[in-house]
Amino acid sequence: MAKYLILFIFSSLSFVYNASASEGIIVVANTADKSIKLNRQQVRNLFMGGAVPYELEAISLPSDNQTRVLFNTKVVGLTESRIQSYWAQMRFTGRKRAPKEMDSENLVLEYLKNNEGAVGYLPAGISVPDSLTVVYTIQ
Amino acid sequence: MIRRIFPLISASCIILLSCIHAVQAEDEDKLEFSGFARVIMGYLDDKNAEYVEYDNSVSFDHQSLLGLQADYQFNQDFSVTGQVVGHTATQRASGLEWLYLTYKPNNSLQIKLGKQRVPFFNYSDSLDVGFAYPWLTLPQQFYDTAFFSTFEGVLANYEFSLDDWVISYEGYWGYFDDEFYSGSRTIDTKVTGLFGLSTTLVYKHLSLRASYNQGDVQLELPEATQLAELLDQFGFSNNANWLNPDGPLQFYQLSANYEDLDYFVRSEAVKIVGKSGLIPDVNSYYITAGYNFYPYTAYISYSTRDVEFRHIPNEIPYGVSDQLDVLAATYDFVLSQFLDEKTNGSKIGIRWDWRSNVALKAEVTLVRADSKVSNDSALQDLGNFDGRAVLYQLGIDWVF
Repeated sequence: MAKYLILFIFSSLSFVYNASASEGIIVVANTADKSIKLNRQQVRNLFMGGAVPYELEAISLPSDNQTRVLFNTKVVGLTESRIQSYWAQMRFTGRKRAPKEMDSENLVLEYLKNNEGAVGYLPAGISVPDSLTVVYTIQ
Repeated sequence: MIRRIFPLISASCIILLSCIHAVQAEDEDKLEFSGFARVIMGYLDDKNAEYVEYDNSVSFDHQSLLGLQADYQFNQDFSVTGQVVGHTATQRASGLEWLYLTYKPNNSLQIKLGKQRVPFFNYSDSLDVGFAYPWLTLPQQFYDTAFFSTFEGVLANYEFSLDDWVISYEGYWGYFDDEFYSGSRTIDTKVTGLFGLSTTLVYKHLSLRASYNQGDVQLELPEATQLAELLDQFGFSNNANWLNPDGPLQFYQLSANYEDLDYFVRSEAVKIVGKSGLIPDVNSYYITAGYNFYPYTAYISYSTRDVEFRHIPNEIPYGVSDQLDVLAATYDFVLSQFLDEKTNGSKIGIRWDWRSNVALKAEVTLVRADSKVSNDSALQDLGNFDGRAVLYQLGIDWVF
């Protein structure tokens, strides 16, 4: 709990959008196969609605969330505004739907625990229950 | 047969969507409403021309619009979608733009059946969703090119990944039967045997798309048809054939885009080949480069369009008889209505993503014509146009 509290204080204090290099991201999945590993491109595809070799459901965080900003910067490689405009194009042309969003990192963890096939990104320091698998890490 | 099937599907989609309110209470998250809106102000700094309907006065009613979409998910595999758009522009018909049934058995395959936008180019199916692109107005010299925008039929998309590549194939088949605006005219148009194939390759920050589209076009141009019949009676069959407005139309499109956190480059080129005399060959492209400094995006863009009708020589001799003189003069007059045209547009603009779903945009476009203006496209010569005009625009794009 203390860890979450520290994390919460940390993230609410960091107003800077360009996060420093020391903050890592992990991508966590609820999969029966614990050996699954994804590369950066596959993670990017998964969260941008592209095809990946596994049937996984991406879960995201809200657009103002600091972990999302880090994920955009380090993994997707696009600004939040570009991602929003991409999803508008996909939605109104009936091509793809944006991932379901959870309000906080804790809610993402809860959702992952309860839904097989779900995959979400979280800050590297977070404690991950044994039932979930870290499929990708970036420092 | 096909003509009977697709209206039937469209009608079924309407009935399904209208019945949905009954089940809404049981399962609210299955029905979703969303929408998009644009409020665009523009002013053309030229008394002698019109561009994208803007003239020498400030106006809001040429590109402002409201779109509403309803999606209903029947189960994991099937859904139905309807989208209506209300335009302020007089040259765009308001009403149903999309109405289709989607079958998506997995993440790779998607099949859509019903009324849809034709995916000729990268933004052909999202022209009205200004929030989806950086420009305030899409490069007109490129996007003014496709004169019919929807079709009724089937579209399938298959996507897969291979190492670091994402590859997708798309194909559609159907028909179009409606009217379109060409400059100041409304022309009844039928396009049958309409189909297209495209492939998109995405590798890291780079994406490439190539597409081919084809259709048999029949234009309702009674004056041209009557004159053609007359010319045929007199034996001037080449000139008569030239005036026949029916024939195949082919589109070849290529596009290359690059984008990362800081920069983007977007480009598209198209070659359109019209086999009948009244449908021109068109070559056009645009290239845009931009810089992101979140929440702002600044860009410069250049686009050009070259329209060529391939006029054939007038076979009808002058000075033989009064009757032939009239016929020859009429033929020359008709030809003069189908002018070759070379235009280009240069623009500079900025987009500010004020909220995650609201963008404010400002754009200045210099449009130039290197020839006489045919008045068949976004650029209109009101008389004595010197070939240069500047359009100033401000706008809000919103999605909800």
